[in-house]
Amino acid sequence: MKLYCSILFAVSSVLWSGQAGAGARPHYGGTLRIGLRENPRAQDAAALPAHLSSQIFETLVRLDDRGRPEPLLATSWEAEASYQRWRFLLRNGVSFHDGVPLDAATVAASLRGCNPEWKVFAVGESVMIQTEIADSGLLSELALSRNSIRRRASGQQKTSGTGPFTVAQWVPGKHLTLKANDSYWGGRPFLDSIEVEFGKSESEQKMLLDLAKADAVEIGPEDIRRAKSEGRTVMTSEPEEFLALIFAADARSEDDTHARNALAASIDSVAINNVVFQGGGDPSGALLPNWLSGYGFIFSPGTGTIQQPRSPKQPWTWTLAYDTADPVERVVAERILLNARDAGINLQLVDSANSTLRLARIPLPSLDPEVTLDELAGMLQLPRPMHDTKSVTELYSAETILLQSHRIIPLLHLRSAVALRPEIHNWHMHPDGSWTLADVWLSPEQP
Amino acid sequence: MSFRRRLLALFSLTVFVSVAVVTWIVSDMARRAFNRANDQRAAALVAQFHREFTRRGQEVATKIQAIAATPQATRMLVAATKTAADYSSFLDDAQGIAETQRLDFLEFADDHGVIISSAQWPAKFGYKEPLTTSGLPSTPFLKEEEMPNEPALALLGVKSAKAADRELFVIGGIRLDKNFLSSLELPSGMRAMLYENLDGSGAKFSPDRLITAGEPVQNAQQLASLINSVRANGSESASVVRWNSGDEETVNASPLTGENHQVLGILLIGSSRREYAELRAQIRSAALLASGAGLLLAVILSSWLAAKVTRPVEDLARAAHEVAAGDWQTTVAVTSKDEIGDLAESFNRMTGELLDHRERLVQTERVAAWRELARRLAHELKNPLFPLQLTVENLLRAREQGQAEFDETFHESAGTLLSEIQNLKTIIARFSDFSKMPQPHFQSVPLGEVVEEAVKLHQAQLAEAKITVEQSVNPSDAQIAADPDLLHRALCNLIVNAIEAMPEGGTLKVKTQQQNDAARIEVCDTGKGLSPEECSRLFTPYYTSKPHGTGLGLAIVQSIVSDHGGRISVSSQPGVGTAFAIELPANRDKLPSAHGTHV
Repeated sequence: MKLYCSILFAVSSVLWSGQAGAGARPHYGGTLRIGLRENPRAQDAAALPAHLSSQIFETLVRLDDRGRPEPLLATSWEAEASYQRWRFLLRNGVSFHDGVPLDAATVAASLRGCNPEWKVFAVGESVMIQTEIADSGLLSELALSRNSIRRRASGQQKTSGTGPFTVAQWVPGKHLTLKANDSYWGGRPFLDSIEVEFGKSESEQKMLLDLAKADAVEIGPEDIRRAKSEGRTVMTSEPEEFLALIFAADARSEDDTHARNALAASIDSVAINNVVFQGGGDPSGALLPNWLSGYGFIFSPGTGTIQQPRSPKQPWTWTLAYDTADPVERVVAERILLNARDAGINLQLVDSANSTLRLARIPLPSLDPEVTLDELAGMLQLPRPMHDTKSVTELYSAETILLQSHRIIPLLHLRSAVALRPEIHNWHMHPDGSWTLADVWLSPEQP
Repeated sequence: MSFRRRLLALFSLTVFVSVAVVTWIVSDMARRAFNRANDQRAAALVAQFHREFTRRGQEVATKIQAIAATPQATRMLVAATKTAADYSSFLDDAQGIAETQRLDFLEFADDHGVIISSAQWPAKFGYKEPLTTSGLPSTPFLKEEEMPNEPALALLGVKSAKAADRELFVIGGIRLDKNFLSSLELPSGMRAMLYENLDGSGAKFSPDRLITAGEPVQNAQQLASLINSVRANGSESASVVRWNSGDEETVNASPLTGENHQVLGILLIGSSRREYAELRAQIRSAALLASGAGLLLAVILSSWLAAKVTRPVEDLARAAHEVAAGDWQTTVAVTSKDEIGDLAESFNRMTGELLDHRERLVQTERVAAWRELARRLAHELKNPLFPLQLTVENLLRAREQGQAEFDETFHESAGTLLSEIQNLKTIIARFSDFSKMPQPHFQSVPLGEVVEEAVKLHQAQLAEAKITVEQSVNPSDAQIAADPDLLHRALCNLIVNAIEAMPEGGTLKVKTQQQNDAARIEVCDTGKGLSPEECSRLFTPYYTSKPHGTGLGLAIVQSIVSDHGGRISVSSQPGVGTAFAIELPANRDKLPSAHGTHV
């Protein structure tokens, strides 16, 4: 009996170890099916959301999960002491999807198209970038998806990239099929192809996942808790998507400023996060998430860091616009309406663009806090805060200046998340919510 | 206005007033009957609304009772029993349950009144529900339910579930809106409207708050006064609304009150008055038709009656005109024995008496004329006869005295006798001339020349009598048809008469004047004048105010003027003078050859 038990244990162990080994080893082939809520309608695939366009197009450099630049299409770089002149040495052996080798002239032309204010020119196998003012954050800017290197063949509409996947079919707003780039300089991706279905509602995505019609679906921060409680595999980012109220214009009077402060103080961000988003984010009074800046807790609602709110002298009536197609935004807007009423401010919910303020969800532009602040300032049409050095103090000052413009009321930083089927392996969700699908592989189908 | 027209107007007015009164009475009765029926229908519809309200309320009560027993409610109750209750996972539960139960409103609240989940306003989680602290109504009730954009009128019910000394309130209901009104069975011509009085009593009337089951109300502002009246008084009211389209509608308004008796809604039952308007139009048409027929009948009747009544009167009027024109023989026929007949008989009797009076007057005047003639004749003849008698007596006495004396007396007496006989001849000749006044021989006569010749003929006498002549005669005056000799004679008589009237001199004014188809001659003196009595008898033959006049001069003048178809008049003021005026017609038709002769 003991011998029998020993033999049985040994056989079971071999079988288990074999299965485990098969699951851990990457497997080439297969099609990854993704369902997304968003509904991009750009004709050019280059205008796709960053987490998809990054699979097709690449930048000279990229930021790691801690925001540090690392080589991508450029293998090395050097800057002059003034940070106005940069030289990037291109990677050898890289070619576009149409087979044309990557060269300095193509890279320079692509970057000039995206940044007219830069002087970009090719020097042998390297590219020179010259800016008008010192720009120590140029590497982070180059890591933005808008600075990805593209080549448009003469007389053609489509653009070609150097990424691990190439566009096989693109029906704007509906469907995207990507195929593996066999000649990718970093090695062929494990997946043969990726099929993305757009415009799927939460319930449709959930159904697709349950029926094995999709391998990965995007879920909102409000559904993370529920998805986890249902035992699904959920990959989440850091709280990166910025939820805020943005005023269309500067405050016109001191009382207007008081009213804006009163509104900011009245909004119960904690309740919105806990109930509406089911804890899928972090309440915040800062522009940058705490994990990115390190000081975001200072701006937490109720800490009194912002000027103490005073009740406005006159009753204010503002219009608040939100995305009426988004039921979660609707609840948030109605909650803000209730909170504002407690502060003596009358908000009227509208869906028009000509509103006093709007509820906005802004994806994190970059893992570099300086670049993120610059992008936010540009979006608010405010002067970009000056911060020549990368000190936290300067960053804090710059963010404070932006907040004191009273143009924006931070509410939450929300997590991005995808729910995966168990067959999906090595899905890496970066802190900013981007994906690296070149490393994803699927379990082989069971015979 | 003639009697016939007055009679027609009286008949027409009588018919019109009669028809108008009957029309008004019928219209008023129809209006009262329509209003009674309308009130009954409106009351029935209001009762139907309240029945539906009660039925829906019972449905709501049943549903929320079932909801209070659902597993979700139990889970909420369990969560509420925990020390740090976390209601975040119930955010969407109320919406799901409300959709399942077909409720417009559903809220769950714990025993502190904290809203756990809200279907109508999910963002209200954590806020207090006032109902839970103000005492729970046992039956469904009306409430102004707060919504994100605008409040709504809700029919709500409340139930509670208890566990481990904690309580869960389930508040649910439906909205009183278009769908609710659609459930009412409306008779033809009626409609139900609901005004949501949710902006507070001080707010103005808002047309957007008016809900109908069908098409929205155009120009809803016309209901403002009625709705404001109900809002102010809290009692039923009714009004007739005339819409811009011309249609009329009776609108009965009933207040719908909440738990605190505040007016939260106003039920408006509109009843079209189109049927009444059509009935009223038919009555008016019938009245117009009756009026037209009545007026036609009135015209016929009045014409007949007027003819019957006014013909004798018109005959009388015509006869009176003839009498006035001198035809005293006129009589009218007596055709009836009524007042008109009496009037005709009286008229005939009057004309007969007038004739008798005239005959008697003529006879009296004739006798008077003969007496005057006899008196004048006796007077005229007495004057020469007395000298004749004295002369003859002188001759007789002279015969007795001697031949010489006789011869001397004879010669003297013969002369006297011859003279007085001549006087008698003259007197007789004048009387003879008057009786033999010739008829005028008309011929074209230049009036101015005739007058000038007459004045010129007496120029010497005028000068001797120291009379100044003021002549206003236009020789170019148009010619008239007259007998120039008779006219000359008449003018001479008037001039002589004037000279005799001014023995101590004066002024003689002679004036001619052409007046259309007539001519006027004026002869004025500045003598001592005449009394009114003298003026009235001046043209009577043989009347004279002078010691030696025959009284025939002016009578002859009047005779000549009369024979010419003219008229003579006299005006005098004692001490000022006398003026004679002769008016002569043109008499063109009396010319021997009227045709081709221009006068």
